[in-house]
Amino acid sequence: MASEIAAAPAAPALGTEAGAGFIAHLDPRRHPWLAALAAVLLLVAAWTATGTTPVALRHLWQWSPTLLLGLLTNVQISVLAMAIGTAVGLLVGALSFSPFAPVRGATRWYVQFFRNAPVLVLIYFTTYVFPFELRLAAWTVPFPDWLKVVLGLALPTSAVVAEIFRGAIQSIPSAQWEAAQSLAFRRGEIFRLIVLPQCLRRMLPPWMNLYASITMSTALSSLVGAHDVVDAAQVASNTVARTDFTVLVYFTLLAVFFAYCYPIARATRALERRHARH
Amino acid sequence: MNDAGLLAQAVAALKTLGLNYAFVLDAGERQAFLRGLLVTFELCVLTVPCSLAAGVAIAAALTSPRRWVALPARAFVEVTRNTPTLVQLYCAFLVLNMLITQQLQGLGGNPLTPFVWVVIVVALHKGVFHAEALRAGIEAVPRVTLEAARSLGFSQRQLLWRVELPLALRFALPSLVNNLVDLVKMTAVASAIAVGDVTYESIMIWTQRDNVLELLLLILLYFGLLTWLVSLAGRWLEARWRMPGYGQ
Repeated sequence: MASEIAAAPAAPALGTEAGAGFIAHLDPRRHPWLAALAAVLLLVAAWTATGTTPVALRHLWQWSPTLLLGLLTNVQISVLAMAIGTAVGLLVGALSFSPFAPVRGATRWYVQFFRNAPVLVLIYFTTYVFPFELRLAAWTVPFPDWLKVVLGLALPTSAVVAEIFRGAIQSIPSAQWEAAQSLAFRRGEIFRLIVLPQCLRRMLPPWMNLYASITMSTALSSLVGAHDVVDAAQVASNTVARTDFTVLVYFTLLAVFFAYCYPIARATRALERRHARH
Repeated sequence: MNDAGLLAQAVAALKTLGLNYAFVLDAGERQAFLRGLLVTFELCVLTVPCSLAAGVAIAAALTSPRRWVALPARAFVEVTRNTPTLVQLYCAFLVLNMLITQQLQGLGGNPLTPFVWVVIVVALHKGVFHAEALRAGIEAVPRVTLEAARSLGFSQRQLLWRVELPLALRFALPSLVNNLVDLVKMTAVASAIAVGDVTYESIMIWTQRDNVLELLLLILLYFGLLTWLVSLAGRWLEARWRMPGYGQ
């Protein structure tokens, strides 16, 4: 005790000791991701300290703001497409239970058509068919490419959401409707209080899967001139024009999408397992 | 001559509907479009068997008892499922292909064309999904059936080939057909690396003529036809392989 107080000026040594204890507590076998992160940080620190950072990595560091900005566009496109697609899809899914046969037929055609069309072709469709600016009365509003991609992705999203919704409603046993009717619930009440809460739980995993798949489809937006992360990587690769940088930037692109989509996939699987147990 | 007259009449009739299909009257553009249709068809016909073979191989690797086979296969599956096909295609064509070209510079050039890369990437991508479907199919084979077969004196090999795989294939068939429909749609990504498929040739035509809507309708019809053929073949196989008591 006394020696510790005497060694007060050597506080940093104490700190490292505590740090060592903390690191020993983190068994690398139990936390492989943390261990990998620590290894990467150490490597970067060593490179910066000795000034021997590989040239390709230095370029990647320089280009990382551009790439991140591009990724932001991808996220923006995917979130908006998902929001619009879900709203339209729920409407179409609800209409597919309509008592009118023509409405049911129309929704079936809608779903079939947009599920069977290649996403890339739909993106070309919305990009080239819509004008580049909209004239609303006196104002001209620009209609940027990324917004057209949002619409192009929202179309197949809405078709899939409609299918998910229909499947979820149909998966509720009809006996529940009858039981609720015998308890004097009205049709709207049965739907709102009994069927819908169960549907939402069943719809969540496929909906999350759909979000991951739409996020991956946003990579296609680079083909129609939106400045997304793939476009940024291409520009970077062409500007730097080094073999090692090209290899690095494209595999970074792969890693970025993986880092975004894999956690969603893991969460979806965990949810599915939890629901399967109930 | 008569054909040309008929074609011109059809174009004129569509023109009254506001659709400009004048490009079919130009021999060069018509040929380019037909070539595009053919290339897309070839892509599908080549990729479907390749993807099925890849699926079987990946499923075998996934279920392997050896960890050094199963773990890399699992990693490959996760990376493939959770990254965009376009980025995979770029990694293969713009990176691997570039490296191969650099290595083979002295040896008479790179034999791999963009077409081949699309086949490889799409086949591996869909192979991963096939593998998952096959694995689920194998898991769906009832234990009791296997035990019954074993008690009848089937050897391990016979058990696999005569009982387990035929049943697993039947259980997996609906998902496999679904994956193949996706595969047909996915071949449109070939246009990104200038393979002359129907999408690419159409882009070439519509940048000249500004008839995007007309060409897109044709492309969608064509993909609709191809996916319909695939699902038709799937339904035919399901009916042909139907076993009373197993599957739907």
